[in-house]
Amino acid sequence: MDLLHTTAEALRLLMMGDAELWGIIFVSVKVCFLALVIATPPAVLLGFLLASRVFPGRRLLIVAVQTLLALPTVVIGLILYMLLSRQGPLGGMHLLFTQQAMVIGEAVLAFPILAALTLAAVQGVDPRVAETARTLGAKPWRSSLTMLLEVRFAVMAAMVSGFGRVISEIGCAMMVGGNIAGVTRNITTAIALETSKGEFVEGIALGIVLVIIALTINFGLALLQGRGGSR
Amino acid sequence: MSLMLVRGLRKSFGERLLFDVAELALQSGSSYLLTGGNGSGKTTMLRILAGLETAQIGSVSFEGVTIPADEICAQLAPRVVYLHQHPYLFSSSVAANVAYGLKAAGMAHAKREALVREAMTWAGVNHLAHIAPHKLSGGEKQRVALARARILNPKMLLLDEPTANLDEEARRQVAGLIRQMCDNNHCVVIATHDSELITLENAVQLRLENAALL
Repeated sequence: MDLLHTTAEALRLLMMGDAELWGIIFVSVKVCFLALVIATPPAVLLGFLLASRVFPGRRLLIVAVQTLLALPTVVIGLILYMLLSRQGPLGGMHLLFTQQAMVIGEAVLAFPILAALTLAAVQGVDPRVAETARTLGAKPWRSSLTMLLEVRFAVMAAMVSGFGRVISEIGCAMMVGGNIAGVTRNITTAIALETSKGEFVEGIALGIVLVIIALTINFGLALLQGRGGSR
Repeated sequence: MSLMLVRGLRKSFGERLLFDVAELALQSGSSYLLTGGNGSGKTTMLRILAGLETAQIGSVSFEGVTIPADEICAQLAPRVVYLHQHPYLFSSSVAANVAYGLKAAGMAHAKREALVREAMTWAGVNHLAHIAPHKLSGGEKQRVALARARILNPKMLLLDEPTANLDEEARRQVAGLIRQMCDNNHCVVIATHDSELITLENAVQLRLENAALL
């Protein structure tokens, strides 16, 4: 089957509003969105603290965050699998092969990228921001908030990168989700499954959706960055 | 009684002594022109007075009250406000920038609105209220920063090269605003390369030379 014909078939499948296909897309988007909602506040806070405060263990934490960035998704999936499996310490929660387990896994994956990019953004912020806030009478918490607001587009870019990482990964989703049809099957696990069966049409259709999602998010971010401008 | 009295002020970078000042007394309602060559420590001195930079300090008092040297900014801001040579405007709007200090002080929106309008009118930036700060010229940024400081009615204003890198028209406008603040019973300390740039009547001349304040 040639690529052109397969792509045309994939587009037709998408246009027809195939329920199974759109269900898979919905699972992906929902899981990734929830994972980002959960991971963003603590990750941004950690990134901010690592960039702006000096405390014991800070360097160790930075190394840990950077190491997690490079950790293969399947390894994180494996660790979570062991934690959530029936014999694991969290087995009693019966989360394995559920969307909740996928959300936890994707949140763990998104966390280091959000923290590391926030850290870099805050480290790069103009020192006059904090000084100006302080001299105008801002208390430390307001000064910190002001710094975060000044790097808000960088934090949003971090969120986009985090979303990109979790929506495109397969290792963790497969390990803790189990690729159960109609429950935990998402875009990437479905592509892997369909390809292994020799069914390329659905795989291409889901690939197109992934690209459209990435394009839409990055286009929105570019618009926001344009509004933010520079000092 | 001096508004601010600093004793035993000494700043060095490694082996290099920047300045060693036995006593610096700044009076309320007086203007000071701090001059000196490049690298003489004008900016550093203003930053120390604002509490934004550390130094060896014997004692500091403000309005007769002794302040710990490491708490100058925490205790004196925004009674003492420092303006950078190139002021940083937060990436919100001009109006939000001018309102920043009042908001930090917890003033209600309705109450600060009239004050913000008045301060922007004073600085001649009312028409820029909703403009993104990065679109402003250097002179406009300086005027917004002055309005943002003036609205807090500081007892002491520390201005670092406020007219540097501005064209003639912008320099004239900024100098006019500074002159008004000096006349308005604020204590204004202006670091500048060129003492003739701002011709302030009755301004006390301070000169940093050979690590001493003359």
